Amino acid sequence: MSEERKRTEVADVDRSLYDFTKSEEGYERYDDGLTPEIVRAISAKKDEPEWMLEMRLRALDLYHAREMAPNWGPSIEGLDLDHISTYVSPKTKQAKSWDDVPEDIKDTFERLGIPEAERESLAGVGAQYDSEIVYHNMREEVAEQGVIYTTIEDALHDPKWEPVVHEYFGTLIPPTDHKFAALHYAVWSGGSFVYVPAGVTLPYPLQSYFRLNAAGAGQFEHTLIIVEPGADLHFIEGCSAPKYYEANLHAGAVELFVKDGARLRYSTIENWSKNMYNLNTKRATIGADAKMEWVSGSFGSHVSYLYPSTIMAGDRGTCEFTGITFAGATQDLDTGCKVIMNGADTTASVSTKSISKDGGVNTFRSSVVIGRHADRARCSVSCQSLMLDDISRSDTIPAMDVRNATAQVGHEATIGRISDDTVLYLMSRGCSEAEARTLVVNGFANPVSKELPMEYAVEMNNLIKLEMEGAIG
Amino acid sequence: MAEKNLAPEAGAEGELTLERVNVAPAQTWNRLRTNDITLTVPVRGRKGDVYFSLPRLFEGVECGMGGAVTDWVESQARGARYVEVPRDEKREEPIVVAVGSGDVADTGVMVRAGAEATIVVAAGDLTKVTGSSVRSGTSASLLRVIVEAGARVHLHEYVRVGSDQQHLESVGISAARDARVDVHQYLLGGGTVALGLACDLAGERARVDLGCRYHAGGTEVLDINEVVRQRGRNTRSELSYNGVLEDAAKKGLRTTIDLVHGAKGAQGNEAETVLVLGDDVVNKTLPTILCDEDDVAGNHGATIGSVSPEQLAYLADRGLSRADAEQLFVSALYEDALMHAPCPEARLLIGDSPQLTETFDEVEEA
Amino acid sequence: MSTQLLNVSALSAGTEDKPILHGVDLAVGEGECHVLMGPNGAGKSTLGHVIMGDPAYRVTAGSISFAGEDVTELSADKRSLAGIFLSYQAPVEVPGVPLYSFLRSICQMRPELKTTARKFRQRVGEIADQLELDQGFLMRELNVGFSGGEKKKIEMLQLLLLQPKLAILDETDSGLDVDALGIVSRGIQAYREQVGGALIVITHNTRILERLDVDRTHVMVKGRMVAEGPAELIADIDARGFERFERGAGQDEAACVDCPGCPKAGDAQ
Repeated sequence: MSEERKRTEVADVDRSLYDFTKSEEGYERYDDGLTPEIVRAISAKKDEPEWMLEMRLRALDLYHAREMAPNWGPSIEGLDLDHISTYVSPKTKQAKSWDDVPEDIKDTFERLGIPEAERESLAGVGAQYDSEIVYHNMREEVAEQGVIYTTIEDALHDPKWEPVVHEYFGTLIPPTDHKFAALHYAVWSGGSFVYVPAGVTLPYPLQSYFRLNAAGAGQFEHTLIIVEPGADLHFIEGCSAPKYYEANLHAGAVELFVKDGARLRYSTIENWSKNMYNLNTKRATIGADAKMEWVSGSFGSHVSYLYPSTIMAGDRGTCEFTGITFAGATQDLDTGCKVIMNGADTTASVSTKSISKDGGVNTFRSSVVIGRHADRARCSVSCQSLMLDDISRSDTIPAMDVRNATAQVGHEATIGRISDDTVLYLMSRGCSEAEARTLVVNGFANPVSKELPMEYAVEMNNLIKLEMEGAIG
Repeated sequence: MAEKNLAPEAGAEGELTLERVNVAPAQTWNRLRTNDITLTVPVRGRKGDVYFSLPRLFEGVECGMGGAVTDWVESQARGARYVEVPRDEKREEPIVVAVGSGDVADTGVMVRAGAEATIVVAAGDLTKVTGSSVRSGTSASLLRVIVEAGARVHLHEYVRVGSDQQHLESVGISAARDARVDVHQYLLGGGTVALGLACDLAGERARVDLGCRYHAGGTEVLDINEVVRQRGRNTRSELSYNGVLEDAAKKGLRTTIDLVHGAKGAQGNEAETVLVLGDDVVNKTLPTILCDEDDVAGNHGATIGSVSPEQLAYLADRGLSRADAEQLFVSALYEDALMHAPCPEARLLIGDSPQLTETFDEVEEA
Repeated sequence: MSTQLLNVSALSAGTEDKPILHGVDLAVGEGECHVLMGPNGAGKSTLGHVIMGDPAYRVTAGSISFAGEDVTELSADKRSLAGIFLSYQAPVEVPGVPLYSFLRSICQMRPELKTTARKFRQRVGEIADQLELDQGFLMRELNVGFSGGEKKKIEMLQLLLLQPKLAILDETDSGLDVDALGIVSRGIQAYREQVGGALIVITHNTRILERLDVDRTHVMVKGRMVAEGPAELIADIDARGFERFERGAGQDEAACVDCPGCPKAGDAQ
């Protein structure tokens, strides 16, 4: 086992936790670039049904047909698909026990605290390493209730679930959605399939962790979750990667189907390294009286385009979005959310925070669309941005489109810095300036961190503290 | 300045499509169709005409609707009108830009240091004023204002064109140190009304206060794009929008407060209140704040909705039914416009609006 | 007794899930001045709002007639046009509508007040001066950003402008604020002198009534009328409070006696 620990610039001090690489020796790595041959090879390796291969090839055509850069958002000029391998797989079978996971990979996840969290507070765990899931397990009592938590690949090989995957897969985020959705469908690999039967409440969250170890590679996992009527699930997603100087790409897709009266909480802590292009697409559709809760922490990546979307199709549905984005040196993070309210008496509330420092760029981008039939729909959007220095940037671009006369929409946004008065006040009570600033920033982030699972909240607060110390020292 | 004859045939009446104009500095998802508007405008061949253009200085003034509209107006306007308000002079008589149906006006105003001036753009059926006949079609006003240090400008824009008419209004303002600009916009209908305003607060402590009130009903289209660039230290912008939309009116409002690097101490506030009264209304809003500086404060707030139950109950207790209450919001807007009209042209424009509960004469009499 | 103006008969009402008024009777003759007192939570404000026709409350039994007509089923705007006025403790903010436009509209709705712009402006000006209200307020948005005292003045301005046959002044809490107290007192006096309309003053504080010629006093406790008497009753309550009525009124413990600054301030909503 060979390993190197990297310590780069000061601003990266916080990511040392994630910044270690493992050798790729002996891995199966497909050629860089994107050709029908590669797509066919991925499909053949997975022994997929014919419809899936057809979908992949159609998506590949779409990908080539689309323009690279949109007329908005951060630059992705540094991203060259000809230099990215779309499939890298460790030579291992998926394991149900950590003991069966190869030592270096197991070591990776242990450092990230995954097996420990699984023992303490999770109902099931999936762990993806590069392009493939290497570990998947769920508590027995949960499985007994009929909950399915597996990979999409395994579901496709199960005669009972293959039709379900076929029915839902790619319907919420179609390959035509945008260029990188097309790319995703051409080369997707790994991810999770979750099915919660009607009326079942999971006592603990399920968690999937995505680790991209290989340099110059892409990760394209697909998450498909179906929460049947009256069921309740908390799903946690974590991601990280070590830092390289070659561009990495993450273009996952998350499709969430929340049926009538069901509830889904989807928490994400994203900690990609600063060479990552994170072009991820997440979308939920929710039924009548259903509830969708998003908790989203974005800390890593070089460039992010990330806007979890909720389509509120049924009446009386509710949607809450709580997000925080922290952009430091060399980061250009374009994050936010979309809400489409079509049902009557639906309620949505969006609350986001962003922190910019060391020349980082934050863009909060949102859209709220209230359809003609969404009588009495109510939506509130609140967006606060904190600037920690004068070389960073923070933009707020919230769009609203209201087509119903009885809907009520409120929106507020504020941008500013930590006031000198506040710092002075805290210093007069005995805090150092650094402590005072950390206190204020933590207070600013607190409404989000308290929504996160415990271990992530602690991690986030540490992250912010370390980043702050780096900034001042 | 290049001669801007966009129509190749002399004297021919043609059309030109201005694609994606009135664009905000920051774009968002195209599928929302909120980034811009595409307009088709008439082009008269003007071969052989002499072009009278403004001093070159005005080329540097960014205009809200963008360069394509500026070029088109310059190619179509009969002449360019240049007005200068001398240093430290308080000009009493308003500078009036009257834009009747089918007119295209190109105006440049230079307000020298310490001077004060009132500018009025009145667009609509001005037959009562000018005696010209009503033509259906497109009217436009391009107004560029250079406000030197310490000068004050009061800009009033009154737009009320017919439901078969189209009006383009592009404004560019450049404000130097300690300059103060207040803008009062009343956009009270028209088949298609597109308005863009760009205000560059270039000097320290320059300030703009903008109040925009709008009403659109029927199938009218209203498209507004307003940009404030805060470049000077301690600059200030206060933007407030208040509108009522009825029937199947379509409104797009893009506002941008751009807090440019170096604008220490700058403050920008924007707020919008929209009352939606029609079932087929399309109401789009894109309130953007761009911030490239830490020692600044940018705020935005929007409220979109119908008359609240509490308000309805209060108004009912004073004798107003729901319909009465809703109409009160509309008529209040026109009354406000009338009360604040700075010159006869503006008053005439709205004096005969059916939305007014008072007749024009009654208010005059008062 | 003069001609009957308002007759509330065996009225029970409440919100969707909670009954508040139980078989309330109240009769007010033309031009009379009545005082409705009672501890916090007695249902005084509710009664005022139900007489006005507030859709937040539902009448479950009994009736309300006004000027010889049954108005129990009438909407609030119709009642207003018929001559009932209710002042709010906390007037609602209406952004987008200047005070002047609002006043003009509510007067033009009424044939008896319809007038030319010039005369109207003059009249509003006079009343504003009388209330020491700066005329600049007329161009501001209705109640938006007004102080408590300013809002009170605007309510009194409307009272004097509309000249209702019956004014219900919901002043449950205004005893707490000396300024507001003065404004309301002046407004009431002007209304009595200039309009001569009937008045129901809802309060649990007697200072507001000091300069008022009261015809009848009613006491409400727990949604019921428990006492009615001449003006002298006020002095009695002032001295002894509501305690004896509360004891008579019910089984539940008295929640709160009359005390300015009571944490339970505010009548049942």
